[in-house]
Amino acid sequence: MEVVDVHHHYGKRRVLRGIDFTLPAGALTGVVGENGTGKSTLLKILAGELRPARGSVRHGGRFGYCPQKVVINDALTVRQHLSYFRAAFRLDDLAHAGEVMEVLGFTDYIDERAGLLSGGTRQKLNVTLALMHDPQVLLLDEPYQGFDWETYLRFWDLAARLRERGRSILVVSHLAYDAERLDTLWRLDGGRLRTQERGAA
Amino acid sequence: MRERTALLVTATRYTLVEHSRNRFAAVLIALFLPLWTLLAYVSMPDQPVRLRLRATGELLTPRGNELTAVSGALNAVTLITAFLMFAATFGGSMFDRRLAMAGFPRPHLIAAKLAGLTLASALVAAYATAVICLAWTPRQPLLLAGALFSAGLTYGILGVGFGALLRKEVEGMFAIVMTSVIDLALQNPIISSRADSAITHFLPSYGAMQAATAAAFSRTAVPGHLLVELTWFAAAALVGLLTFQWRTRSTLPSNRRAPRGNGPRPAEPRPLPEG
Repeated sequence: MEVVDVHHHYGKRRVLRGIDFTLPAGALTGVVGENGTGKSTLLKILAGELRPARGSVRHGGRFGYCPQKVVINDALTVRQHLSYFRAAFRLDDLAHAGEVMEVLGFTDYIDERAGLLSGGTRQKLNVTLALMHDPQVLLLDEPYQGFDWETYLRFWDLAARLRERGRSILVVSHLAYDAERLDTLWRLDGGRLRTQERGAA
Repeated sequence: MRERTALLVTATRYTLVEHSRNRFAAVLIALFLPLWTLLAYVSMPDQPVRLRLRATGELLTPRGNELTAVSGALNAVTLITAFLMFAATFGGSMFDRRLAMAGFPRPHLIAAKLAGLTLASALVAAYATAVICLAWTPRQPLLLAGALFSAGLTYGILGVGFGALLRKEVEGMFAIVMTSVIDLALQNPIISSRADSAITHFLPSYGAMQAATAAAFSRTAVPGHLLVELTWFAAAALVGLLTFQWRTRSTLPSNRRAPRGNGPRPAEPRPLPEG
């Protein structure tokens, strides 16, 4: 994924003031920053949800995006979600989705309606929908909100496994203790990305 | 072709599942529709009302309570289909966008929504016609059902439009109710002396109201006015379709979207990051 000179503003408030980077294969990259610095805005632009005021984003292949806000359909069961997105992604099977569900530990909820799931389980489904087509680039906006500690650890195991398979992962986070799990850490500050020493996160 | 059909079947199935789980709409259909229609019939005076039906040019003298019951049924059908579609659109627009950005063809999603709306409108219209038949027998029950059906379609699409454009649920509900109140009150000869004004021709349910009144109290068929209503539906559907396309668009270059037939593949090597 290649990002060139991305700018964005809301009214007169300039949020992004020139973001440039290339996301390599097989890397786990984090973006941290204080509340309101534009982390989610950046990820929405990278995912194609928001058009930047200036600049361009180019994806080299399939990508998956896990939005900060859970985007699922409360009327459908977990199984129906998987079936719907299997059709969207034109997948031959749900093997990868099953693997993700197994790691996140919510296979028992396959026939539950999304509207009846707990917050953490809804987030697991949110993450699964982003991962189920085994994307080459994965954009995750605070993906472990609502996870218990065990699930949080399993999530990072999954991320490490994906990295070993050559996938690029960009995680937006505000948690300092995620830093040691990342290959690279960037801080979004004043509308620009700066490389951050991981001990300083 | 087989893939397209499978995608359409999938989207339609889940659209119908979603509608079927809207319990509040089910309660509105079961209780509100017969209550409103039959209360209008029972409580309004049954003296004849003179009105000239523009659709046929006939001078009709329907009973006041029967005329109000027809208007009430039209009101109930339009409110229910508008609410049903508003709820699905308002709650599901981000989900639709996620599906579209994952590669689900938007025309198939739109077709599924239209199929869901068509089925819902047909069921509610048939039920409303049956409720009216409990009170008295309209002259042309099939035409009455057709009129209610076409009005349900039109308001269902208006519900989609409100659901896509408005930010709060209460705004959408207010918009639907006020549209229906203005639309039907201006056409009701009992409460509006301007019911035959030319302005009423441009109201969303004008064609359906003319067709429903003719169906209830005349032997003359008025397919032209059903067409007028379906034209309103088609115009509203076009606006709704464009709104849907806009709301589910991706800002990325089109050739970078998720490719079709994409089973798991190894990632290609990329250069290392700068700085």
